[in-house]
Amino acid sequence: MDTQHPATTAHEPPGAPPECAGFVELSVRLTGFDEFDLRGTGMVRLYHDTTLEQLGRAAVGRFLDDLAAAGGDPGALADEVSRDIARAITHLWYLGVWPSLARATHAALGRGTPNTAFVVSPEAWTEGLAWRTFHGHPPGARPPGFGTWADPPPGTPDRAAGDVA
Amino acid sequence: MTAGDRHDVIVVGAGLAGSLVAKHLGDRGRRVLVLEAGTRTLDTWPGHLDALNTYYAALAKVPNAPYRPNAAAPSPDVLDLEGLPSGGYRAHGYFLQDGPLPYASDYLRACGGTTLHWMGLVPRMHPDDFAVRADYGYGRDWPLGYADLEPHYRAAEHALGAAGDADEQREAIGLPFPPGYAYPMRAIPRSHLDRLLAARLDGVPLRETPDGPGTVLRVVTTPHARNGTPDPRHDHYRPAGATGLPNYGERCVGNASCVPICPVQAKYDARKTQAAWSHRVTLRARAVVNRVLVAGDGRVLGVEYQRYDDPAAPAHTTRTAEADVVVLAAHAVENARLLLLSGLANSSDQVGRNLMDHPTLLTWGLLNRPVGPFRGPGSTSGLECFRTGPARRARAPFRVEIANWGWSWPTGAPASDVARLLGIGAEPGAPRGAGLFGTALRETLGHEVGRQLCLQFAMEQDAESRNRVTLDPRHRDALGNPRPVLTYDLSEHVKRGIAAARAVSARLFALLGADDRTAYAPGPAAPGWYRFEGRDYVFQGAGHAAGTHVMGDSPATSVVDPWQRCWDHPNLYAVGCGSMPSVGTSNPSLTMAALALRSAEAVDRDLAELRRPLVVRQPGGSS
Repeated sequence: MDTQHPATTAHEPPGAPPECAGFVELSVRLTGFDEFDLRGTGMVRLYHDTTLEQLGRAAVGRFLDDLAAAGGDPGALADEVSRDIARAITHLWYLGVWPSLARATHAALGRGTPNTAFVVSPEAWTEGLAWRTFHGHPPGARPPGFGTWADPPPGTPDRAAGDVA
Repeated sequence: MTAGDRHDVIVVGAGLAGSLVAKHLGDRGRRVLVLEAGTRTLDTWPGHLDALNTYYAALAKVPNAPYRPNAAAPSPDVLDLEGLPSGGYRAHGYFLQDGPLPYASDYLRACGGTTLHWMGLVPRMHPDDFAVRADYGYGRDWPLGYADLEPHYRAAEHALGAAGDADEQREAIGLPFPPGYAYPMRAIPRSHLDRLLAARLDGVPLRETPDGPGTVLRVVTTPHARNGTPDPRHDHYRPAGATGLPNYGERCVGNASCVPICPVQAKYDARKTQAAWSHRVTLRARAVVNRVLVAGDGRVLGVEYQRYDDPAAPAHTTRTAEADVVVLAAHAVENARLLLLSGLANSSDQVGRNLMDHPTLLTWGLLNRPVGPFRGPGSTSGLECFRTGPARRARAPFRVEIANWGWSWPTGAPASDVARLLGIGAEPGAPRGAGLFGTALRETLGHEVGRQLCLQFAMEQDAESRNRVTLDPRHRDALGNPRPVLTYDLSEHVKRGIAAARAVSARLFALLGADDRTAYAPGPAAPGWYRFEGRDYVFQGAGHAAGTHVMGDSPATSVVDPWQRCWDHPNLYAVGCGSMPSVGTSNPSLTMAALALRSAEAVDRDLAELRRPLVVRQPGGSS
């Protein structure tokens, strides 16, 4: 049988939309890490769901409106509840930990869940972004190898000079 | 009593000391029963991975975070202590506490014991440390000295797989080693931070006070019980791999989580010794010994223990086992508790007394360049020049550990820094700061955390009879055994040492050009806060409990003899840091291991003596 095929593109299903595109977009603004880094953690879906679960769809909707009104700059958020939501989602990305909300935020949202901090999952801890800000790795995971701690950290003048004197 | 449950030796506790004693005796053909109060779920690789996941998922990454709570054999936890807003503390959890200051250390009751979460540093004690009363006028003296212990130090370094540089230890600290001695493995490489500090501090003279005694600073590599590179000068050393997973094991790969768990088991823990036990050693876990059984003549017969199935439910059955020799190796606090419960070995009234630790002062600051924090083992070098010398008369000596993990111990960094930069304070009701987001947050966090420097000043604590473990029958654990009551304080000698350490730290930070951020204030996270001569301090526990069945040269004033044999009971040994009359400034596990190996030889001799064939003459004279 001949292998001449008609162009198949028309028959392929349309590309799946990127998962949680809106959540990733706002997370990029909150964290200062780009989409590639955030998706690379494998935590997007878990953090998206955790955020909805902790805050409720309505509160997240108001938060998104506020953020849009602030021109997408979380630093310009005027409403204290929205600002606290920004803190919580950023905290989640940096440490894998959903934090306690400010008492006033917790009350304003009328949350039925206890206002306590928790590690979202074991993997979330090992995917925290905080360690990357100083070229580290999460303790107990992704070890860099024997003796690597003797080297100057990446991105320092010492690294280029190869010495500490 | 179960017929046949008879052994040459019963060892109570499957931690470092007990596992070494059992190994030594099993290798010599002795039948040994080891009774462990905790579980042995960590012996398997799935059990180990479960502990690792429990650690990842724990909000507070404290030393016992990976290890599941056990209602039948509870362990103290550093989170049990709560500082009060204007000083003082409240103790929750397993320990009851009634001292002016809290006993702030934990341990772990599980197969493998506290080596599961220890840091794994194995410095030897200094020869001066054994005679502090005679030479410096404080504390208690050992009935033996460094020279008596030296061969056992070498045996312990072999048993634990120590990595170190003997020449450097000899030259920089003055530790005597036999000529040509090499540790089993070469020294673990120094961290980048160690090298930064050495470049600025080595050779610099320092005086604590303008007219005080001087010293010369030098950054010295610390010996570790951690797999590194075998030293061919040490005969036939082969590093011990992981337990529970065949043919797996490697050098330290820099997980930077030695406390509380080494994912690859490059760090020594007692399971490695247990894996090498002969078949004559039997381990029985979930067996809480609560009584040592004794005959009228003072000789012990065996032990009574409580066997449970489910660590979450306190149902148990009571059993007994007999042996010619019983060795208590259950931890300084638990050994004392067991002796007190049994009403034994206490003719000197010293059981439970002389409780010591290495009260630790933390200081922290920011260097003016990235230091590479949170990498490698928790500490790879220290300053050893404050460990002895004339200043010791006036104040406690100390060892300075250079911390490789930023401000994690004093402040909970980097999590606390993330929260602070986001405007999240410790108090949920307080108004929050504006907070940084995006690139500003990322860059500020990296810039600050990347420069974190922390020094840990571990004080020698002098033995004081008022610091003690007692029992209160009104407060019992789930198996009905009285919980330990701790009465603890710091002496003036220790407080003067801490004050000196604070002054030394300020000088070091000035030499380093570091921005000193150290601050001490009462509060929930500072149960160890106190004021001394008008200044605030906060001390931490080091997890180095000692002194509770103190060794000495007289039955009138001590609990065990120089072989760790109870003066009152010739076939009962109490081994561990509880025997130490003084603790020097060295992390005590290596010394405990050396003592345990020395005592194992004594137990073996005792058994040989018991088994010596009697010469039976036939009645009626010649045949």
